[in-house]
Amino acid sequence: MDNVRFLRTSSGDGEPCDDLAAQLPKLLAGSARGDQHAFAKLYDLTSARVYGMVLRVVRDRAQAAEVTQDVYLQVWRESARFDPAVGTAVAWLLMIAHRRAVDRVRSAQSATRREDRYATTQSERPYDQVAEAAHANLDAQRVRRVLEELTDIQRQALQLAYFGGYTHREVADLLHIPVGTAKTRIRDGLIRLRDTLGVNDDQS
Amino acid sequence: MTSHELSALTGAYALDALDEAERAAFEAHLATCADCAAEVRSLRAAAGELSRTSIATAPEQLRGDVLGAIGSIRPLPPSADNVVSVRGHDARRWLWQTVAAACLVLTAAAGVWGYQQHQDANRSHARTVAITSVLDSRDAAFVTGAVATGRARIVYSKAEHRLVLIGQNIPQPARGKTYQLWMIDPAGHATSSGMFTPDGGGNVLVLASGDLAGVARMGISIEPAGGSRQPTPGSIIAEMPI
Repeated sequence: MDNVRFLRTSSGDGEPCDDLAAQLPKLLAGSARGDQHAFAKLYDLTSARVYGMVLRVVRDRAQAAEVTQDVYLQVWRESARFDPAVGTAVAWLLMIAHRRAVDRVRSAQSATRREDRYATTQSERPYDQVAEAAHANLDAQRVRRVLEELTDIQRQALQLAYFGGYTHREVADLLHIPVGTAKTRIRDGLIRLRDTLGVNDDQS
Repeated sequence: MTSHELSALTGAYALDALDEAERAAFEAHLATCADCAAEVRSLRAAAGELSRTSIATAPEQLRGDVLGAIGSIRPLPPSADNVVSVRGHDARRWLWQTVAAACLVLTAAAGVWGYQQHQDANRSHARTVAITSVLDSRDAAFVTGAVATGRARIVYSKAEHRLVLIGQNIPQPARGKTYQLWMIDPAGHATSSGMFTPDGGGNVLVLASGDLAGVARMGISIEPAGGSRQPTPGSIIAEMPI
């Protein structure tokens, strides 16, 4: 069916062993029809990426597990609502996860408390404690290299927004830059990331 | 916010770095801006790449919890139609955010524009209650349509005899002209639902009452200031079936 065209949706930059983009839409379609085995496979392929990101944002293992469970239940419930026109299946899944993680930290505590906590827990870096498959590390290194090429402000703005869960106004305050500048640096940083990594969101 | 300012928020939106009102305003803008939608799509994919640097194995128990829970949850059917029931939680939440953003924009404008708008703001509580009755009604539904270079969404309840028009990026009418909203029956007879002009940012929020039972479609026309009893022939610029 529709899934055939997704087989071509790997990024064209020689990215190693990433067949996630090809498999995920098929597994989502299966889930939409109530196929629990397809969903289990989807979970196994993506949970380290989803849970790790959520953990980095909420900074608490019990809460990260709760949020991750909510994410997967939403994905199961809404699997038929995935719209390829809005982006890839991976991007859709991560968007749901990131929104839920950010909602959790924003409702959980005031911005000032999070600011203190962010400063004190910056060095924890849960991902460093986990040994993952070699290709996952290669991918991570590739992204980190691109992040290092950004300007300090661009990199900090991206990380505060994505992993810190801060709004662009809060990012501006934290970095002592005007709101308009934060907005621009976030956009420029993401564009640089997109173009350097050769992120391919084209579905056709 | 102007549409130019909104267009600069693609990156912040892709990172979920907007507050609720900004997000609602931006999403309303997204529906009308294909360039923004394409940029958001690609930037969201780039944002997702960041999660490659935070991989961590999920607790073993979580897998069992998730797979155990889905057995009792029925996946939703696909959805795609023009007239959408507002009963669904997500649709209702989206509408609320859109209305909240529209109210916020209009209130902010009132703060700048002075006494008349201040009086309007004093009446806004009653208006909010009325808008609530439309959005919360069991039969609430909505339609969308293009209005000149902008877009409008009409949320209506035939049971409540009320409708709410929410517009974004609606251009100012020419000097001496106004927009007028019409209820039109199957025979083409039109009844006025009132006049409106967008604020400086192109935002419109109109609450109107009327018996919608015999209404086939809503129309928007451009009329001389002060409005018309019937639409001037050829003046209707948008029609939405309800």
